[in-house]
Amino acid sequence: MANIDIDEIKKTAEQIRKDCIWMSTRADFGHLAPALSIADILATLYKKIMVYDPKNPHWPLRDRFILSKGHGCLALYSILSQVGYFDRNLLRDFANKYDTMLPGHPEIKLPGIEANTGSLGHGIPLAIGMALAAKIDNKNYRVFVITGDGELEEGTNWEAAIIAAKHKIDNLIVIIDRNKLQLGDLTENISQLEPLEEKWKAFGWATKVINGHDINDLIFSLSATPYERGKPTIIIANTIKGKGLPVAENKIEWHHKVLTKGQYNALKDDLGLEELSND
Amino acid sequence: MTDNRSSTREAFIDALLEISKKNEKIVTIAADSQSRYGEFPNLYKNRSLNVGIAEQSMIGIAAGLALSGKIPVVTAYANFLAFRAAEQIRVDIAGQNLNVKIVGTDAGFSSEWLGYTHVALEDVAAIRSIPNIVIIDPADYEETFAATKAMFDYNGPVYLRLRGKGKEPQVYEKMESYKVGKGNILREGNNVAIICSGGAVHDSLSAANILKSENIEATVIDMASIRPLDKKLILDLALKVNLIVTVEDHNVIGGLGSAVAELISENCNNVKLLRLGVKDRFGTAGTEELLKKNFMLDDVGIAYNISEFFKKINDWRINSHENNNRVRRAGI
Repeated sequence: MANIDIDEIKKTAEQIRKDCIWMSTRADFGHLAPALSIADILATLYKKIMVYDPKNPHWPLRDRFILSKGHGCLALYSILSQVGYFDRNLLRDFANKYDTMLPGHPEIKLPGIEANTGSLGHGIPLAIGMALAAKIDNKNYRVFVITGDGELEEGTNWEAAIIAAKHKIDNLIVIIDRNKLQLGDLTENISQLEPLEEKWKAFGWATKVINGHDINDLIFSLSATPYERGKPTIIIANTIKGKGLPVAENKIEWHHKVLTKGQYNALKDDLGLEELSND
Repeated sequence: MTDNRSSTREAFIDALLEISKKNEKIVTIAADSQSRYGEFPNLYKNRSLNVGIAEQSMIGIAAGLALSGKIPVVTAYANFLAFRAAEQIRVDIAGQNLNVKIVGTDAGFSSEWLGYTHVALEDVAAIRSIPNIVIIDPADYEETFAATKAMFDYNGPVYLRLRGKGKEPQVYEKMESYKVGKGNILREGNNVAIICSGGAVHDSLSAANILKSENIEATVIDMASIRPLDKKLILDLALKVNLIVTVEDHNVIGGLGSAVAELISENCNNVKLLRLGVKDRFGTAGTEELLKKNFMLDDVGIAYNISEFFKKINDWRINSHENNNRVRRAGI
């Protein structure tokens, strides 16, 4: 893999983080830390892994992406604008305008969004449906999903896990954003997710554990999917909630906290953030 | 194909198989009970999925298929769709206005001995509270056959409400086509209008015959299209009769009776409404006949309730007339 690729992906991920901080501060709203943890994964998917055409969002052969943890949508909005699904100016509308195209959870009215999400535990079943449609039509596209780790407390994920394995949905790749925090506490203080990889393995999925902030690791692991023919793939990406914004990193209370305008301006030069404007 | 007493479930299967010959987009998904699609899974193996006992995932998968251009059909006991999978129906299907056909079975009293867990008397209320979904509650084999075809012609989410495996009485000789949003006038009379749907239609027609012997002439409307409701037909009726009665094999809260109440309370003068159905109670175990009798939703029960209410509103009218005279005499 040429270094330039990695540098470009890193730059894209940095821009995602800046946009997330910028949009959420402007709106004084948003799930900032859950978006920051998936910035590197999204940058790698959209810059290196997925096949799609932003000028033709409904191109039938495109790879699909579903953000099952819909509250992380700040990062998704940024990457979609960066790869050209819509003009960057639209990011100004995040939670900032009545009936906005960019609400607090993503909706298909925005180009590039494949499914409405926001209620947790919906992404994998939706993705199975899409992946199955590819099988029926003999198409080769893949369906990528990012779920939260706390999200795995929803039972539908485990229903979907046994369904996807049984029906050999190997064009489905689910990435777990394993930041080990959820709204109220550490995930392991709330429910017993571990041993997580062994669970998915036992459910019949091909598994891999990676560093979700290491672009090399991400490229390598996402390129090689499916790992086993006839098996859906789980990638447990170890991440840091709030990654890149030190004040928010690994802090339970930052699940849906945002910077004040004062904090933003104080950090602006250090992080290379854009000017906050009131338009 | 039918002995005219076949079930609504069989009608759905017959229509599905006919349509599937020409429509390759249809994908059926079952939550264990694949037999509800008849021969479809054998004929179209790669377009049949059995997800097992997982109604919520079934709905999510259907939404994913619809987002990829397929026309998915899902089926299960009405309660397990309308309640177990309510959130998936709301968010994944209705919220994205997807072309998914949701077929609830064993509605009303047709689940017989299975008990209240399976007796679906609130399913319409649940679905009706969610925007975008068309609700069809057909009366018999013929109407279900035609409605199933209409359901696939319609591009959007539909909830089709069917009953159990048992034979069902015939209401229609033949129905050429079913129109979403249109009620059917089955019988005309000037004293009262009965608006009913699904498993209550045949009993309502019999009740109208009983009422005739009491000199109460009833119009009977089959309002299988609970949403969209045939508003024009109902508002026209409200100008002609003093009493509208709704009859449904469902709770009186949230179903057909509520839909009609909402319409006439905001649009009509001088018409009374009587809602017959299950009065804010759960169902229980019993044969269809026993259940209907106990909830007074057999023909005799329906006729009795209408006749009593008819007398009551006549008494009110006389009293109100006398009151008016008293007021006039007192010179107030």
